[in-house]
Amino acid sequence: MKFNLLFNKPSFLLVLSILFFTLLINNVNANIEDNLKKITLKLRCMTCQNQTIYDSEADFSLDIKKIVIQKLQNNETEKEIINFLIQRYGEYIVFEPQMNKQNIFLWFFPFVIMALSLVFLILRIKKN
Amino acid sequence: MKKIILFLPLITILIVSSFLLIFLLQKKDPNKPPSALLNENLPEFKIINLFDQTQVLTNSDIKEKIVLINFFASWCAPCKLEHPLFFDIKKQHPNLYLFGIGHKDKVIDALKYLNRDGNPYDYVGIDNTGLIGLDFGVFGLPETFLINSSGKIVYKYLGPLTKKIIKNEIQPLIQ
Repeated sequence: MKFNLLFNKPSFLLVLSILFFTLLINNVNANIEDNLKKITLKLRCMTCQNQTIYDSEADFSLDIKKIVIQKLQNNETEKEIINFLIQRYGEYIVFEPQMNKQNIFLWFFPFVIMALSLVFLILRIKKN
Repeated sequence: MKKIILFLPLITILIVSSFLLIFLLQKKDPNKPPSALLNENLPEFKIINLFDQTQVLTNSDIKEKIVLINFFASWCAPCKLEHPLFFDIKKQHPNLYLFGIGHKDKVIDALKYLNRDGNPYDYVGIDNTGLIGLDFGVFGLPETFLINSSGKIVYKYLGPLTKKIIKNEIQPLIQ
């Protein structure tokens, strides 16, 4: 009797939809958590000593985590979220310097030095 | 001569690195990173008055005024240190618009604080969620911003103001 009650059509559909939505919500939450970790590992806690926002429990970090979650729930991309924070806190909030005009020297200088050294080395070898 | 040429790349790297190091370390305190909003327009805001929660202040209300914005909280000890200095600033510059923002503070606590220590501000807004502070890039208290009459942030100071800082860094920008 109980078996029949559970598996009559409307109840079965209801149970199935609840199960589906629970799985869906869990999946969305897991995605948000993964993205939160990915983003906050790139961000610096401005009030701590060289700690990421992900690792920090400081008030500032907790606030930033809340904002990142809010923005992820609004389907904003990682780039949009990081740009939003850079606009307010400056590039200091990210550990990795951004690829822009100001940092171009920083990004390419090692390659320039490497190329120059290589040229120098080749010339030396040829000469010898 | 040949020996000098041999060491030329190393010498170049050393010279360039020294210049970079000098540039990087110049007047830079890692505890006080420069504000991203310096020389930028004042962010859009809408803030409720601490004393009358039906009253709201927005950017347009402080248009063409020189404004000193001070983020404070009743729970912030360094804020108490700089608090009396705002009375002096107001006395010396009556035309300066002093705008206090109670950041992540309870209304009742902020009211108690200003009733006890006095209120030097022309307007006191309450930012209990911290969202207005976020738009200003606030991450520690107290923080003070000076806005020129064109609505641009021309100065920011993180930490309690001192008489010396006011005299040397803020007053020249007000006059």
